[in-house]
Amino acid sequence: MTGPGGVPSTRSGRPGRPADLDVSRAWIVDPESGREGPGELVVRGGILEALTWLDGRGAAGIDDRGVIATPGFVDLHAHLREPGNAAAETIASGLAAAAHGGFTTVCAMPNTTPPVDGPAAVQAFRARVAASGSPVRALPYGAATAGRAGEQLAALSGLAAAGVAGFTDDGSPIHAAPILASLLAYAGMLGLPVIDHPEDPSLTAGAEANEGVVATVLGLRGWPAAAEVGAVARDLAILADVVRDEPRARLHLTHLSVAGSFELVRAARAAGLPVTCDVTPHHLALTDEWIAGARRLAWQALGGAGSGDPSSTGDPWSSGAIVAEPYDTSLRVNPPLRTPADAEACAAALRDGIADAIATDHAPHSAVDKDVEFGLAANGISGIETALGLVLELVDAGRLSLATAIAALTTGPARVLGGEAGAPDGIGGAARPPLGRLVVGAPADLVVFDRSARWTVTRDALLSRGKHSPLLGRDLPGQVLLTLAGGHVGFEAPPT
Amino acid sequence: MIASTPGAVAATWAHRHLLDVDVLSIADLDLVMRTADRMAAIAGARGRDEGASDGGAGGGRDGQALRGLNVTILFYEASTRTRVSFEVAARRLGAEVVNVSATGSSVEKGESLIDTVRTLEATGAHVLVIRHSVSGAPYLAARHFGGHVVNGGDGRHAHPTQALLDLYTVRQRLDGGALATRSIDGLLVGRKVAIVGDVLHSRVARSNLWTLTAAGAEVWVAGPSTLVRGFEAWAASGVAGRPFHVTTDAGAAIRDASVVMTLRLQKERMAAGLLPSLGEYTAGYGITPERLAAAASEALVMHPGPMNEGVEIAPEVASGPRSVITAQVANGVPIRMAVLSLLVAAGTTR
Repeated sequence: MTGPGGVPSTRSGRPGRPADLDVSRAWIVDPESGREGPGELVVRGGILEALTWLDGRGAAGIDDRGVIATPGFVDLHAHLREPGNAAAETIASGLAAAAHGGFTTVCAMPNTTPPVDGPAAVQAFRARVAASGSPVRALPYGAATAGRAGEQLAALSGLAAAGVAGFTDDGSPIHAAPILASLLAYAGMLGLPVIDHPEDPSLTAGAEANEGVVATVLGLRGWPAAAEVGAVARDLAILADVVRDEPRARLHLTHLSVAGSFELVRAARAAGLPVTCDVTPHHLALTDEWIAGARRLAWQALGGAGSGDPSSTGDPWSSGAIVAEPYDTSLRVNPPLRTPADAEACAAALRDGIADAIATDHAPHSAVDKDVEFGLAANGISGIETALGLVLELVDAGRLSLATAIAALTTGPARVLGGEAGAPDGIGGAARPPLGRLVVGAPADLVVFDRSARWTVTRDALLSRGKHSPLLGRDLPGQVLLTLAGGHVGFEAPPT
Repeated sequence: MIASTPGAVAATWAHRHLLDVDVLSIADLDLVMRTADRMAAIAGARGRDEGASDGGAGGGRDGQALRGLNVTILFYEASTRTRVSFEVAARRLGAEVVNVSATGSSVEKGESLIDTVRTLEATGAHVLVIRHSVSGAPYLAARHFGGHVVNGGDGRHAHPTQALLDLYTVRQRLDGGALATRSIDGLLVGRKVAIVGDVLHSRVARSNLWTLTAAGAEVWVAGPSTLVRGFEAWAASGVAGRPFHVTTDAGAAIRDASVVMTLRLQKERMAAGLLPSLGEYTAGYGITPERLAAAASEALVMHPGPMNEGVEIAPEVASGPRSVITAQVANGVPIRMAVLSLLVAAGTTR
């Protein structure tokens, strides 16, 4: 299979078919063993038959700037929209988009219409996944409360028995503190994590953009950091109480976006609390100044070397950074894009191991919900296909090591789902390999991408029905060449 | 971005739309001022001999600048002076004028802004004047409209024609009219301008910060902490790097100011928990004769209207000798004539 450049190709080729990959020479990153370097992969009949590390002459021509093979990515946070909003996304289009982005496992948020708040809805979800023909593993989360109304616990045992990966009311915070306490205890008993979207809604009513200079100048209603930090503090205080009686309780905080949140998580972890968290590619790489029409990546807006100033080089108007029209609704997201210093805090959290995972919060919307006034637009970025590219921009800029980035896309999220025991076995069918690992003898679950090959984000290039990406027209590094999910081809780049 | 290029020669107007003042150069501002001077001459002549403003004879070439064109005024928020002054301005230039308000139109039936804009283009609008409660809405309209879009005020963001007419009024009235023919370049260097009141919610304050600092003024914004929130951070980097001051002390802002601009206080601010009471606000920030006494002796008093007399401004100040509030309203017509004629002359290809 390898061409001169080490570019892999499969013999069977067609998506969904078991893959045969004779020899794929690549820079292999295996976070489970902590090893990376030149290697060869052999896949036959969909099974990863061999993983051989190369050295000496055998490794010639392979480096970490070229073709890279890693375990398939695991997304802890995606909205697939079906049932209820097929104009925004379907399970089939969402999973196709996931494979295009290198993801072989996607945790689907239950805020569909109707929500996934009972076993029947889980069965319906599984039926749709099977009908999609996608080999990507789709793990449903169950709603935390009945109808996602935040009042009564959902059918938690039934959901657990049906195989949900965790419980969450994402999209809405779990508002009532007593409900969160019960949920953490009950989910802990069932061996599953609670995923909370930390937001104090009393501070975000009508909010449009991160509270700061950009919102002030653009006249957008400010979304304060305190709305997130306060909710994180509350969640952690409740968790501390709950674990005294139910040590199996686990809390995962999703899409943390401000520096203050990570300080709280750091302290909680130091105190031994069972809390994990994730950050999104857009909060790592983009900032609120994009709403004003700047297009600098977060670290490009940070103070220059030696300035000692952790804040920005100045607002985008003062620094002459405005290059696009303001108020692009593809940038409206919850939580909002923050400051360059907050983006740096997200990256630091990954480097320090405070953040466990990079999750996309892929939130596709239809044009009806996005082609409107900024303040009326739905929150969310269609991001599962651009995640790798943005993360590689951080790696290229030296903000994150390749190993840390890949771990945050593979073993990190697997640990969140499986707790200390590692990836859960019962989830997604016994025939599937463990999440986020390269396991010889198991169905191949991996992604191969060319770190140096840039691709242009266009509406047509995105397989998601959600076309509102702030990156449209921009080149990203790391074109995905091949995604094998459970031994089957999920995505394969057309031959060039 | 407002570039202060000393001695820049006003070339031609290069903007298809007027969505914000942040993109206007000193040359652009000069062009607007000089065009408004010319328009004021027509407006004055026609104002005396005309009943219905049907855009008929008079005004020479300028009076025909929009002949055969349709100006549609799409307002999603209530307005008296801005709407009327755009309408009068358009008619004086010979345009056909259509008024659309959110109530009584398909907007009430949930029609999207994009569909509304396309509909108005299909019914013949060449220029769309839009006022909207959501910041940035005119940018969305402009993306879907083949003609020219003028921002008549969007949310808290911008009110470009108000800032232009305010700048025009300052230039016309300051120092007893001695600056009335001057370029904007350096016009207000060494002059202090106080903007007092509910700055947080004010599109007028934001737009004036751009234009007044471009003219070189030392701008002070003043209000209670809750109503200047976020402006300290902006002041730290400045308006495109041009510094301004923020204070909660109205006296500090007004002291020796050449211009005192006050802003309307919405009574909803109490319900939102931003102010304890109207009385407390007036005591701290109302423009009274006593407070005004600290300003420069010939200071101008301005208000974008509509006023709450006795709240943000004392009645005797509003109608006093230093008030140029009526001149602001009157200048709205030539300024909007200037904007409309410059946009139309620029064409739609840029």
